[in-house]
Amino acid sequence: MKTRDVLIVFVLGLGFGLLLSRSGAADYTFIQEMFLFESFQLYGIIGSAVLIAAPGLWLLERHGKTASGEPLKLKRKPLHGGTVIGGIFFGIGWSLTGMCPGPILINIGEGKLYALAALAGALIGAWAFGALYPRLQPLLGLPPLDVGTGDG
Amino acid sequence: MLILNELTALHWGIAGAGIAATVLALQFFLNRSLGISTGFESLCSLVSRQPYFLRPALRGPGVWRFPFLAGLLVSGFVSAITSGGWEATWDAGMLDTVLGLSFEAKIAWMFVGGLFIGFGTRLAGGCTSGHGIFGVALFEKSSLLATTAFMAAGMATTNLVYRVLGGWTP
Repeated sequence: MKTRDVLIVFVLGLGFGLLLSRSGAADYTFIQEMFLFESFQLYGIIGSAVLIAAPGLWLLERHGKTASGEPLKLKRKPLHGGTVIGGIFFGIGWSLTGMCPGPILINIGEGKLYALAALAGALIGAWAFGALYPRLQPLLGLPPLDVGTGDG
Repeated sequence: MLILNELTALHWGIAGAGIAATVLALQFFLNRSLGISTGFESLCSLVSRQPYFLRPALRGPGVWRFPFLAGLLVSGFVSAITSGGWEATWDAGMLDTVLGLSFEAKIAWMFVGGLFIGFGTRLAGGCTSGHGIFGVALFEKSSLLATTAFMAAGMATTNLVYRVLGGWTP
């Protein structure tokens, strides 16, 4: 990766994280209030992000090229036997910790020490999934190992 | 009010527009599609020799995930020092005020929740960013299903924990 690209990605991560940190998307109580239907904040954030990203991605796809003229590659998300059950597991984890993957790191940066326990769990959970992949793959009808379940 | 320095939250539209801008910039400038949970696999690939973590995608085109994860970690720190100061804390808002778990129970709670996040996001092939925002914005069937599943499971879990077991009332 070129140094310039590393810097661009770092700045994008920084900006993205700042918005999540200051909007409640990385706040335990805001996540519970979303799931309790007590606050519109998180629905507004996710909904407006989708509403703006959808036409933007559509235009980018029509344009077909990146800034440097490469053919645009939109990562397609395969549907497989793990899509729904994995989603259910993740929803339980998001509710328990009040964090989805990005906010785990943001919360650690903010100084919330309990997020370190969530990170340890997430890494061990992801590792266990990878280690069990050869057994889960035929059981759940997942894509071949060299493909994986999809980037996300 | 946020747990962080008791700040007032930004308007949702500002955060939503900024997230969408991140998705579009990452795609236009780097040709990469936003998704964070695969980053857990990238981190595992640094130490694990399991065949799943030796997939070329993780160490090849996937290396952009490392600076992105670093940006997220630093963002929390910057957010704190620019809004009243950084302080290590165990404050988990509603978890403390309603459920009042002991210190050990809180750590176990977060760890178990983390296990569900790590295993679940990788099984589903995405999280809130990859499926919920990027995939749904592309009207991908898998993302619509995964997003419905994690939102429903989150609603069920939180309502069970707070309204049923925790005796919480608005």
